[in-house]
Amino acid sequence: MTRVRVTAPRNVTSGSGTPSSVTPAGGRPAAAPHEAAEESDAGQLFVRSLIRSQLRLGLVVGLGFLLILLAFPLVLGLVPGLADSTIAGLPFDWVLLGAGIYPVIGLSAWLYVRTAARNEARYRDLAGDK
Amino acid sequence: MNPVVGVAAFAAVSLATAVIGFYGLRVSRTTGDFYVASRTVKPWWNASAIGGEYLSAASFLGVAGLILLSGTDALWYPVGYTAGYLMLLLFVAAPLRRSGAYTIPDFTEARLDSRSVRRVTSLVVVLVGWLYIVPQLHGAALAIRITTGLPAWVGPVAVVGVVCITVVAGGMRSITFVQAFQYWLKLTALAVPIVFLLFVLGGGESAAAESPSSSTANPTALAPAGPYQIISLLVALLFGTLGLPHVLVRFYTNPDGQSARRTTLIVLGLLSVFYLFPTAYGMLGRVFAPDLARSGQADALVLLLPGRMIGGMAGDLLTALVVAGAFAAFLSTTSGLVVSLAGVISQDVFGGSVRGFRLAALISAIVPLGIASMTGSVGLAGSVGLVFAFTASTICPVLLLGIWWRGLTDAGAIIGMVTGGVLCGSAMVAGSVLGAAQTPSWLAQPAAWTVPAAFAVTVLVSRATRGRVPRTMTRLMTRLHTPERPLATER
Repeated sequence: MTRVRVTAPRNVTSGSGTPSSVTPAGGRPAAAPHEAAEESDAGQLFVRSLIRSQLRLGLVVGLGFLLILLAFPLVLGLVPGLADSTIAGLPFDWVLLGAGIYPVIGLSAWLYVRTAARNEARYRDLAGDK
Repeated sequence: MNPVVGVAAFAAVSLATAVIGFYGLRVSRTTGDFYVASRTVKPWWNASAIGGEYLSAASFLGVAGLILLSGTDALWYPVGYTAGYLMLLLFVAAPLRRSGAYTIPDFTEARLDSRSVRRVTSLVVVLVGWLYIVPQLHGAALAIRITTGLPAWVGPVAVVGVVCITVVAGGMRSITFVQAFQYWLKLTALAVPIVFLLFVLGGGESAAAESPSSSTANPTALAPAGPYQIISLLVALLFGTLGLPHVLVRFYTNPDGQSARRTTLIVLGLLSVFYLFPTAYGMLGRVFAPDLARSGQADALVLLLPGRMIGGMAGDLLTALVVAGAFAAFLSTTSGLVVSLAGVISQDVFGGSVRGFRLAALISAIVPLGIASMTGSVGLAGSVGLVFAFTASTICPVLLLGIWWRGLTDAGAIIGMVTGGVLCGSAMVAGSVLGAAQTPSWLAQPAAWTVPAAFAVTVLVSRATRGRVPRTMTRLMTRLHTPERPLATER
């Protein structure tokens, strides 16, 4: 993952930036504001990488879902006889569109929520924002 | 049909709404309470409330009616209504909550550091809200006319009256409880009659003659929708949900971004369960009530089907339940929209006081009442679908680009919103002037070209006015996307 490289600039404490992670017993005031840490060059690197990974995650899940959605009518149209077959007395195309899509939506959403929270946890670790 | 049933059902729902609203009055005291319920609403409550508010006349009556009319093509509506929430979750929910804004105009103003953007967004939001309330009132007129025999205007007037009383009295906190209650009422109102209907069908003699699989039979002569119409509809529904003002205002009641995501996940589950039922009604309707489609009363299918298939006392009780659910749908969506519109109008016009909020609530409810009384109802699902197309062409580009793209400028946002609004608005006007039969499909379903156009114009103008990217952009993008600090470290 691209996120590996952002561990390097942790010591680059440029100007006003005082990342709160670099405050051991060194006498720096513990009250170093987080906002400042986030606005330093190093902090912004973490933030940008977080935004990129969240956007990429959203796009991947969204496009994946749309592909599955588009596959439904294609499958119905291309596989002969499928649209006319029945499941438990109900026409197959009705079951597929009327009920079968919802579990796909739920699964995509669940995957997204889990991964997005993980991305944020990783950001917290990197930025020392605990 | 027994007219007492309809009146009693409406009275019961209104009374329950008012009682829960007044209970909420005791806990809402400050201006903050009125707008966002102090951001202390639990995810389950909040998700039920979002579901309650979102499931409008279009979902409760319109979807089944449209399925009755056009069969599997109409199944894309509930799919799109639900998948729109997936898009909301993926791209909007958490960042919007973290922006800390109360309304969409608050968000665009903070993001672009511009009062003019705020004013244009407010205008669009109010327009969208009014357009969305009108079909709810048409639904109320239909339900009153069909179930009680009273003149149609009684329905909209009663809905607006009840909404005004609850909103003016309680603000958002009580609205949250009311909406949550109404989601479960709507679900029960559709589910219980269906269970009875299936039970009757399973043991009855009518089932032997006509099995549900004959629902593929088409009661109308409507041509099946082409790929363009389906794709354009999906674009409208998927991207339109992102910008609905009454949906977005709900996310501010979550304590943080993560819980905003959890709430949306629950909402998706609630919607998925709900939409199984209108689909079932539509399917049964195609077999047992095809005459409704031919007499132009398709939207009344949900209200009439239980009484038709189960006679006597049981039929009356089930009808009362469905009517109660329908009025819950009109009341909840209308009051949700009125609250969010009143939030916008009162902040922009009346300076954000509680008194101003009440006045703004009255304005935002009475104007659509006027519009609804001057216009006739076309298919409910279709007219709400057009509002989604309008939202997707105006608010959605600004919201998505504002959250994910650093290059957005105030000029790009304004010109993009105006372009999308004018294109989609003129398509809607042209469509209603030409009439449903004469309108070509690219005008009837404009989203497939108006949404990309609005995005393109927003990006191009922002590129051209690169110097206007606000200086506060970096700090705001950081706030939108970084997780909230745990309370323990807050000093």
